[in-house]
Amino acid sequence: MKTMETRTPERPPPPRRLASGLDPRRRGAGSWAFVLSRITGLGLVVYLYVHLGVLSLLARGPESWDSFIDVVRSKPFLALDVVVIAGWLVHALNGIRVTLANFSFGARVQKAMFSVAMVVAAVLLVIMSVLIFEGS
Amino acid sequence: MSLDVPLQIHRQKEGVAPHRDLFRVSVADSATVLDAIEAAWAWHDGTIQFRHACHHASCGSCAVRVNGIERLPCVTAITDVWDGASDVVVEPLRNFPVAADLVVDVSTLFDRLEASEMSPLRPVEHALPVEIGERPRTDDGTMVAPAGIERFMRFESCIECGICISACPTAALGGKFYGPAGLAAVQRARAEATAATEVDAILGSVDGEHGVWRCHSAWECTERCPQGLDPAGAIMSLRRELTARRLRRLFRR
Repeated sequence: MKTMETRTPERPPPPRRLASGLDPRRRGAGSWAFVLSRITGLGLVVYLYVHLGVLSLLARGPESWDSFIDVVRSKPFLALDVVVIAGWLVHALNGIRVTLANFSFGARVQKAMFSVAMVVAAVLLVIMSVLIFEGS
Repeated sequence: MSLDVPLQIHRQKEGVAPHRDLFRVSVADSATVLDAIEAAWAWHDGTIQFRHACHHASCGSCAVRVNGIERLPCVTAITDVWDGASDVVVEPLRNFPVAADLVVDVSTLFDRLEASEMSPLRPVEHALPVEIGERPRTDDGTMVAPAGIERFMRFESCIECGICISACPTAALGGKFYGPAGLAAVQRARAEATAATEVDAILGSVDGEHGVWRCHSAWECTERCPQGLDPAGAIMSLRRELTARRLRRLFRR
């Protein structure tokens, strides 16, 4: 009679990973779009509050505002502008895709719509980045 | 040719912290992932708990996550998920309570289907395109079921494996979301309904925070359905109809 082996199994270390519901790796385009929307959405909310905080400088008079503007016209700050625009483009264009698909317009081609949205976002980002840095 | 596959299996039992055990199983190169799990159980550790029945993607009971992705291991070739070097990781479905190891308590799936008030079963005479056998029929053509069986029933294409709920990021947030399978069942009932009162009742049952509006449109249910169904498309279809009805009502006022 064949007996069962009783080897003690090896125990690999427990995995370290993102909350599994928000980990799009190896998942479909829809999951990537879902996660990107959440990340950019949260980023834009944070940006909004930072923006409102910065605008409060206006209440301190023109000198305070002008000196701040000199700082944000520096190259590193312009790069941050590009990051904000990238988040806005991804969120807005994906939002249009989701809205259309949610009303059953193009729901079957949502993956292609995501690809198109991201290509359009990339093209617009390049154009806007050039305009930002050329105008600085 | 046989393969020596490093197989990590999620272990979870009462009183033991969840962890993974690594087994090096020897299986044929034509083996499925379920064959590999069975090899680990048969030759390494008979206490591994997993569920399976049909071995051909019909019962849906063996659904697990392989390398993080929901699959039916009975029809997943080991060579499709093993790169020849890394460990193959087998875990239970997400968004269900784990009963033990790879076995999850799927009763919440059936709770969700019941919450949608749409039975996943229907009389077989309405579903089959051809007549079967020589079974006697009543005057209206309905087949007479054998003694002891109230009526012929069959499962729809959904095999109730729970993969769509495991894959759904909205279901991961918990709550009373009906889930993709439940909402797809509602959409199917809606497609068949003709009486206005019936349509109203069906659409009303999902027009709420736990119904179609809870979905966050990740399409992962459709992406992962082993039966090739489109629960996400069904949800979008219900949303479109509900929105159209609201807009019509708004402009009639």
